Amino acid sequence: MKLLRAPLVHRLLGIVLGAVFLYASVDKILKPGDFARIVYHYQVIGPSQWVGAWAPNLLAIVLPWIEVVVGLALLTGVWRREAALVAGALLGVFVVAVASALVRGIDIENCGCFSVSGEGRGAGLALIFGDLAMLAAAAVLAFVPPRSQEPATVVTSEATAT
Amino acid sequence: MRSSTLRVACLLAVGVSLGLLWNSFSGRGIALAKNVFIKAEDEVIEAKAAKARLDKGALFLDARPIDFWKMERIPGSFPLPENDFEPAFKKLEPRLRSTFDIVIYCSGFGCEASHLVAARLRERGIHAAILHEGWPAWTDAGYPTKTGPDPES
Repeated sequence: MKLLRAPLVHRLLGIVLGAVFLYASVDKILKPGDFARIVYHYQVIGPSQWVGAWAPNLLAIVLPWIEVVVGLALLTGVWRREAALVAGALLGVFVVAVASALVRGIDIENCGCFSVSGEGRGAGLALIFGDLAMLAAAAVLAFVPPRSQEPATVVTSEATAT
Repeated sequence: MRSSTLRVACLLAVGVSLGLLWNSFSGRGIALAKNVFIKAEDEVIEAKAAKARLDKGALFLDARPIDFWKMERIPGSFPLPENDFEPAFKKLEPRLRSTFDIVIYCSGFGCEASHLVAARLRERGIHAAILHEGWPAWTDAGYPTKTGPDPES
């Protein structure tokens, strides 16, 4: 617990997580059409008879750039806590999407995580565990305050209590 | 806490704006309301690729006149005859709109029905691939077929 509150650990976690998010965004940004196809394959937000193509298309357009912004924030440490909240939410959505595809028996050859063209990494249990590990890192950044940010008053009140 | 919410909203807003700007001005963008599978040209696939898609649960459509479908068909296929398109389409529409892995075949050797059906589906925003040389390509490859008039395949 003490280690998790070390500012250095926060900075390192932010750099690693931010680098992963930035790296993940590049191919999707270069080939939005291919990424949109992958989003379709998950069959989570369409296209379906109820939702047209706009919902998955919008996601394919916007998601990589949110990854860029969040990645940059995590990497530089500006608004790290908030960026980690968004990153954690995204990872949570990814886990649910992959798990639901697995449960429904949808074979997703390319998960659309990093590379969107050709045969990418499949969507399976290993992917879920990888995402959960990153989710844990994001949770630490979002909910465990680093020591330096702790207000001095808390320390004194603890001292008086004992 | 309030400033945190604002910052989260701000991060999302910047990401969304960048995405929309990039989509509009980079030259790599996609049409927001259009199915990205739909291209100006037909997607034509060979029997082997079609079989692989069937095994993965692709929806197969038979563009031949309905009697051919009743006699013998690719397993799991639905009839969408070119010469009687509208009623069959109405029946199939919910199914067609919930999938994007659709393959059409017709009687082969340059038959046009698959292409005509694909074009009509494209007008309605649905993408379907065409099995090259249709039915004979399928049977020559020794892939399974189904016979009998039962409606639900």
